[in-house]
Amino acid sequence: MGELKQIRICGFGGQGVILAGTILGYAAINDGKWVSGSNAYGAQARGGSARSEVVISKEPIKFPHVIESDILIALSQSAYDEYIKNVAEEDTLVIYDDLMVNPHNLRGAKQIGVPATNTAIHELNRKQVANIIILGASVAITGIVSKQALVSSITENVEERFRELNLKALEIGYNLGEEIK
Amino acid sequence: MKFEEIASTLPPRTYYFSGNEAVAEGAIAANCRYYAGYPITPSSEIMERISIRFKDVNGVFMQMEDELASICSVIGAVWAGAKAMTATSGPGFSLMQEGIGYAALTETPLVIVNIQRAGPGTGQATRVASGDLMQAKWGSHGDYHIIALSPWSVQEMYDQTIEAFNLAEQYRVPVFIMGDEATGHLRERIEVKAKVKVFNRIKKLGAPPFGTDQVDGIPPMPAFGEGEKLLVTGSTHNEFGFRKTDDPLVHSKLVNRINNKILNNQERIIKTESYHLDDAEVIVVSYGFTARSSLYAMDELRKEGKKVGLLRLKTIWPFADRIIHQIGGKAKKIFVPEMNRGQIIGEIMKYAACEVIPYNQTDGEIIHPHQIIRELRYLLNNM
Repeated sequence: MGELKQIRICGFGGQGVILAGTILGYAAINDGKWVSGSNAYGAQARGGSARSEVVISKEPIKFPHVIESDILIALSQSAYDEYIKNVAEEDTLVIYDDLMVNPHNLRGAKQIGVPATNTAIHELNRKQVANIIILGASVAITGIVSKQALVSSITENVEERFRELNLKALEIGYNLGEEIK
Repeated sequence: MKFEEIASTLPPRTYYFSGNEAVAEGAIAANCRYYAGYPITPSSEIMERISIRFKDVNGVFMQMEDELASICSVIGAVWAGAKAMTATSGPGFSLMQEGIGYAALTETPLVIVNIQRAGPGTGQATRVASGDLMQAKWGSHGDYHIIALSPWSVQEMYDQTIEAFNLAEQYRVPVFIMGDEATGHLRERIEVKAKVKVFNRIKKLGAPPFGTDQVDGIPPMPAFGEGEKLLVTGSTHNEFGFRKTDDPLVHSKLVNRINNKILNNQERIIKTESYHLDDAEVIVVSYGFTARSSLYAMDELRKEGKKVGLLRLKTIWPFADRIIHQIGGKAKKIFVPEMNRGQIIGEIMKYAACEVIPYNQTDGEIIHPHQIIRELRYLLNNM
């Protein structure tokens, strides 16, 4: 696989899972990488399951979905429970929201809790930006895309009235990731 | 002037589009300036983006009352001189069949995008399938030929949309882009080039619009308002468009010509992609999103030294009979994974001398690479 990175972001509908995946994909484009992104979500706008997959490579991508995730980002317990089954025990990094997810004991896989929802509520008074906080932390921990590319991606893809809030959330999340790693 | 290079209206660079957005941009790049449609999952993003982007290019966008009206409106726009298209999915494609037959007999160049979902009926609106390929060929009544393309990536959704308009104009025929939900909703990096090669409709004042002595069988096409006395009818007509519904010679000449103009040019129209065919014992014949899974599966097995090859059909209709005949004479087995109950495999069986093995899935999910790897391993171990 070499440089190919497979990222799966999961949670429930309304947490911004799809947006987080799209922003990550755009960021990888800004970095000059090849990217394939796909989503799966239930019929309901809120409360159902949501999953976003991003495959990033230095070369053209053969199969565009995640085959085995290198990085699993989980924002809800049910999504964590479902996708942890597909995690290869070795080499996989699991990043979870520590307010929303009680992690299982896993041999091999490295698991990191990020206080995304907690920070979103207490520092920004908006739990909706937990997605960007955990994305920022994940990028700081893994370096899958550059921070600058992520900033540009948010600037391009988030509506103007929410832009500043999301950029702030990114900054907070990125710093959290730097501390944790 | 046939082919012309024009500047892309979208700034040339790298984008991160969904397949459906890429179709909309491909259409605009190919000079499509009329769109009539009715929204349907999983194709609606094409219509949505066209409705937003047509403002930038002075295009005309119409939301119609249904798909039957949509196709008829597109036919009208083409005869008024525009390049035009519509996009839909299974149920809408069914409603369009009457208009498709009319477009075939009146030799109206237009593009129809079908982002296939799981049928029959309203089926699974948000799920993937490729069950409409035979409908693309046989959906309307009578003997006619169309061109159908099968994209496997977001880049190809863009490129093939441009190609579809060029083929439509070149051969005066409806051209279908037979995408699927998985490719329509996939986001990928795509490159938009500065220049786009487009085919301009051939016009010849005074020449009959429905007949030609040229060997290619494609008459020039005037538009209403250009000073020609123009009759367009879906009934049998002579080369000037006059109804001749009782004349056996006129009918057979017309029907034969509209079929032969595609069949006689099929070597120029058909495009395929070959991987490791030279030494392959088992060849996967694949198209659309499934070909991405097939490519991955083939590469994994090649790493183990297994003699597997892949033929990807970029054009579904006209069918790539000659190359299937060739590979069917060399390979031991041909393996055909399809997100339907077995459609293209029937065509392959007509032309391949070797054993042809189906793999079919109709649960609304994609065929995953590991499924293909598992099946190919079994085949290779039982030769």
